[in-house]
Amino acid sequence: MTENQLVYLYCITNEEPMLKNVEDLVEGLYFVHHKSLYAVVRNVGESEFGQEGLKRNMADLEWVKTNATLHERLIEQVMANADVIPFKFGTLFNTDDSLKAMLEEYGEEFKAILRKLENKEEWGIKIYCDTEKLKASTINDDPEILKIENQISSSPPGKAFFLEKKKAELLAQSTNARINESGQESFELLKELSFEARINKLLPREVTDRDDEMVLNSAFLVGKEEVGDFINMVDTLKMHHENKGFFIDCTGPWPPYNFCGLSNQKVQNA
Amino acid sequence: MHNVVTRSKDVTLLEILDRVLEKGVVISGDVVISVADVDLIYLGLKVLLSSVETMEKYRGAPITGPMQEPT
Repeated sequence: MTENQLVYLYCITNEEPMLKNVEDLVEGLYFVHHKSLYAVVRNVGESEFGQEGLKRNMADLEWVKTNATLHERLIEQVMANADVIPFKFGTLFNTDDSLKAMLEEYGEEFKAILRKLENKEEWGIKIYCDTEKLKASTINDDPEILKIENQISSSPPGKAFFLEKKKAELLAQSTNARINESGQESFELLKELSFEARINKLLPREVTDRDDEMVLNSAFLVGKEEVGDFINMVDTLKMHHENKGFFIDCTGPWPPYNFCGLSNQKVQNA
Repeated sequence: MHNVVTRSKDVTLLEILDRVLEKGVVISGDVVISVADVDLIYLGLKVLLSSVETMEKYRGAPITGPMQEPT
């Protein structure tokens, strides 16, 4: 007996996807056409992607890595020739017909999202901060701190001790303020060059596995015509900030994961 | 094209997971991944990332290229 198959949905486009480009990545890809929408899908086994199988496999990081990377690469390839609505990892249907029923239900919304996304790309900006390095640069150009340093050098030990404590406090405040200013300024400047912008939750160091701290996690929907300006602005921001302990990580173009939310939020909890 | 130049050479697994698992259209399909499953991944991610990084060190692969326009 052959195993029961499920339908894994990667993305939706409004023109016939060129699957020749993506067939190298994985076997068994096809598209489901419903009205003017095309869903790029693949048949997957129920033992691997069914409720039980998924639960087991999501705990297997090598499996997650392989399949999440495939999910991303595949959508990127389709995106090379068409605007796409990317779906979340592991969106699965029992049959082509149940997928079609979903396309019927949300078709108009998907079309509206695709119109919004036309000729635009998602770019990601993550800013990290090496706090010690930023502190070192702050000490040298914060007038308040320089003043207190002068007082310390001309004070007796007892008073100097308290002034040192005050200096540490000031330094921490000033450093925090600079992190906020730099993050906000960078975000606002890039937002001006974008159609939409999002701030996402910061990822802790345990997850990023970097020595510096993430201070901004953001995404921008940029017109293809404006991408050059956007990149130039990123370069300018790097020039201004990177010598002070900031690191600006710019990635893209991404499938527009951050900019294709359905207006009807109840589907998320259905 | 600027796209090719700017994109980090190896977009990290973290960048991919940060999008693929958390973003994108959410439709309740016929099978559902629970939030607990996603949390598990983040918990285990550090272990995986460290091992990937170690491999890259052995290969001597650079983490990111400089961002420059081609001349």
